[in-house]
Amino acid sequence: MQPPKISRFKRMSTRLGALTIASLKMYLRNTTGLFFTMFIPVVLIVVFGFLFKSNNFKTDISLTNYSQTEISKQFVESLKKVEAFKIDETDEATAADKLGRGKIDLQIIVPANFGKPAESGKGLQPAPVQTYFNESNPRNGQTTNLIVGQIVSGFNAGVTKSPQIFTVEPRGVRTNNLGQIDFFLPGVIAMSIMQIGIFSVAFVFITYKTTGQLRRIQATPTHPIYFVISQAITRELVAIAQVGLLLGLGIWAFNVKMIGSIFEFMILAALGAAVFLAIGFAIAGWAKDENQAIPVAQLVQFPMLFLSGVFFPRDGLPSWLLKVTDFLPLTFLVNGLRKIATEGAHLWNVGGDVLGLLVWGALMFALSVLIFRWE
Amino acid sequence: MALITVKKLEKKYGKFHAVKGISFNVKEGEVFGILGPNGAGKTTTLEMMEGLRPISEGEIIIDGVNVADEPYRIKEMIGVQLQSSAFFDKLSLVEILHLFSNLYAQNKDPKALLEEVDLTEKSKNRVKELSGGQKQRFSIAAALVNDPIVLFLDEPTTGLDPQARRNLWGLVKQVQASGKTVIMTTHYMDEAEELCDRIAIMDEGKIVALDTPANLISGLLKRGFKPRKQVAQANLEDVFIDLTGKELRD
Repeated sequence: MQPPKISRFKRMSTRLGALTIASLKMYLRNTTGLFFTMFIPVVLIVVFGFLFKSNNFKTDISLTNYSQTEISKQFVESLKKVEAFKIDETDEATAADKLGRGKIDLQIIVPANFGKPAESGKGLQPAPVQTYFNESNPRNGQTTNLIVGQIVSGFNAGVTKSPQIFTVEPRGVRTNNLGQIDFFLPGVIAMSIMQIGIFSVAFVFITYKTTGQLRRIQATPTHPIYFVISQAITRELVAIAQVGLLLGLGIWAFNVKMIGSIFEFMILAALGAAVFLAIGFAIAGWAKDENQAIPVAQLVQFPMLFLSGVFFPRDGLPSWLLKVTDFLPLTFLVNGLRKIATEGAHLWNVGGDVLGLLVWGALMFALSVLIFRWE
Repeated sequence: MALITVKKLEKKYGKFHAVKGISFNVKEGEVFGILGPNGAGKTTTLEMMEGLRPISEGEIIIDGVNVADEPYRIKEMIGVQLQSSAFFDKLSLVEILHLFSNLYAQNKDPKALLEEVDLTEKSKNRVKELSGGQKQRFSIAAALVNDPIVLFLDEPTTGLDPQARRNLWGLVKQVQASGKTVIMTTHYMDEAEELCDRIAIMDEGKIVALDTPANLISGLLKRGFKPRKQVAQANLEDVFIDLTGKELRD
């Protein structure tokens, strides 16, 4: 009995659709696996969210005032009035030490001649206020520096009575005052994307191979590549859902500010997921069993976790290592997501990162096709 | 008229010669058994016939279709129960059968298939919750989703208790009665005698004998064979079945 003629496309889509639905059901019913892919990023966000909230609500500043003038005292007082500042008056050496150890965000030195009348008798002596910020955490320091600069110029204007031609809206300063959680969240999201891509494939897909489930599909007229594609689609969907959830958690529970477009953030996240899935399938496709797949997955994933700027800025790395790790796929993803979230960048502004991910994706896809073994 | 023709079939894995040029025919509607010790090449032969393993030399024609040329057309026509294959463990029996019927781009009703193999009650269960005999029956149900003309069974009763084995024999006879051809491997001689219309005995990659069970036995006796001990009217398995009954225990 000949089956009724069905178009090639209909046949392909029936098979892919059925396999994708089955794969999704299997993925979502694997509650332990699901728990662990969600659990780690959620815990990280919650723990660090609370940590950053209590610790870094205020910017820590150490101030050394060498000047005895009334104007310098007024200047210090006006700095203390800024609610976001926690000002500690101390000597220069202690402050420099604290800055070096990352205990404070900014060091301010008010020179001895600050507020002293000029020798000409007209106006005040030029007395530049010195500020130092920690380069390994430039954001807080730079933002603070801006505010300090504004207060200084306000003083200038007040003393010289010159009309203020250039002013800065204070509101602008405040909205850009991002907390550490705002930088942390895109990193954790990138990490969770990598885990779905590499680990969930290396752990789960390999069992389809070793237990003969893949072989059983090969005994049907459906090529097992359909199954691989359906597994990839499943994880792509799960990754997108998870990114949305983590982002929602950050925004809802910890007031994370999303400066850029959520849509563009999601597009980049989806591209990242595709890249890591290609890496995952290259590993799972090549490996004969778990004993080969899992160590290789660890070896690929572990360095990236620490060298791609997920948890801390990469500025501290030695320059040669920095140059190498610039090209890691997770570095591209972390950078791109972070720039969208914290700087409001568009996809075309992070073109280098997008290109980097595209190149990685193409290379890894080609590699997995080359080294895939069905049994 | 032969439904399946195997001609000078060979399989080489590097230097290892697993199947050494075997030829045989399978007639439409018969149960054809392939017997032999471990490593004789039974599974390799079966897998080449199923289009799962490349053929080194020779050819296999099933119902006019050359396996080497059109493996995907062959896979549409046959049903396969593999010796070592698991089914997705997070899906219910109904869901797996539904998926498999889609893999053949067909619309077979999973419930009807489960009823054929007497697993209606387990339709919502997972494969891992089934007993050994139920797993094999399910495996046959999955092999029947495309209403195949040939059903391949690779050691379907290995590891089953006597009750489950007898139950599976009934299922094989039922499949044969529905007009399908069955090719199976087994290590149990009583099973081959009970089920197979003809059997091929393989050893070291060659077929050493091919005939009906009755002819093979009478041929041996004609060559002057004498059993070491007098065969009793019953054996231990008969005692076992007599004491424990024929009904399934799973």
